[in-house]
Amino acid sequence: MNAKSLQISTPTDSTIVLTRAFNAPRRLVWEATFTPDKMRRWMIPPPGWTMTVCECDARAGGALKVAWKSEDADPAMTLHGEFTEVVTHERAVHTETMVLGSGETIGRLTETHAFTEEGGVTTMRITQSYGSKEEREGALASGMDQGMEACYQRLDAVLVQPA
Amino acid sequence: MVLDSSPRLDRVFHALAHPARRAIIRQLSGGERNLSELASPLRMTFPAATKHVRVLERATLVRRRVVGREHLCRLSAAPLRDAMLWTEQFRQHWEARFEAMDALLEEMKSEEQTRSRRR
Repeated sequence: MNAKSLQISTPTDSTIVLTRAFNAPRRLVWEATFTPDKMRRWMIPPPGWTMTVCECDARAGGALKVAWKSEDADPAMTLHGEFTEVVTHERAVHTETMVLGSGETIGRLTETHAFTEEGGVTTMRITQSYGSKEEREGALASGMDQGMEACYQRLDAVLVQPA
Repeated sequence: MVLDSSPRLDRVFHALAHPARRAIIRQLSGGERNLSELASPLRMTFPAATKHVRVLERATLVRRRVVGREHLCRLSAAPLRDAMLWTEQFRQHWEARFEAMDALLEEMKSEEQTRSRRR
């Protein structure tokens, strides 16, 4: 397995932990994660969506706001929250509420980012804490529309192999 | 589809969370088997195998039909497929994001090098 490869675990019923290493110093990974013009580059939306708002003030009490529009709705979804705890370049905790264009809240979580650097490689650990197991499953199930056919085909190939 | 049916996914993941039940699924991927055929390679009693098959049935991973005195089990792969998609999609979504971040970080590093050379 590649040392950089993404690890996903679910240590409790309502949390998801994502761990990924980057070949860059901690300061730059922090900047890429929390600077709006950088966030636009990696916060990849579902197909057909465009990011319309991206604000992120990674200081305790600072606000986070991201919005996307689709062909049918503007906004299609907004994500807003507040930073509750920040140690620059090391650790940040923020709340996050996802609201659909219709006004319906579809998810609420607390996200903790922790950054550690060793030999020029930075490991970012994201802990997503949901209100309940059901909310966590909803988050895991999201993004289902992308690449589904490719997945089916791959699984079909696995299933036809004799045990 | 998977999206809003997490009780079903709960049952699938619960069913998969036991080595004996995963072994049964592996056996059934070779075709239909009766309960004693499933029980013997696992060195399992008939009632124990029945119990595991019931859990798999509840998760709709296995379908059972009774022919005479035989209980024939076969695999129903759709829920397995849903379970895999469920984790796979989430992973792909984040992998795509992190790969974009890799590219961005390379740019940021070379920008910094250019700036420090100019100084």
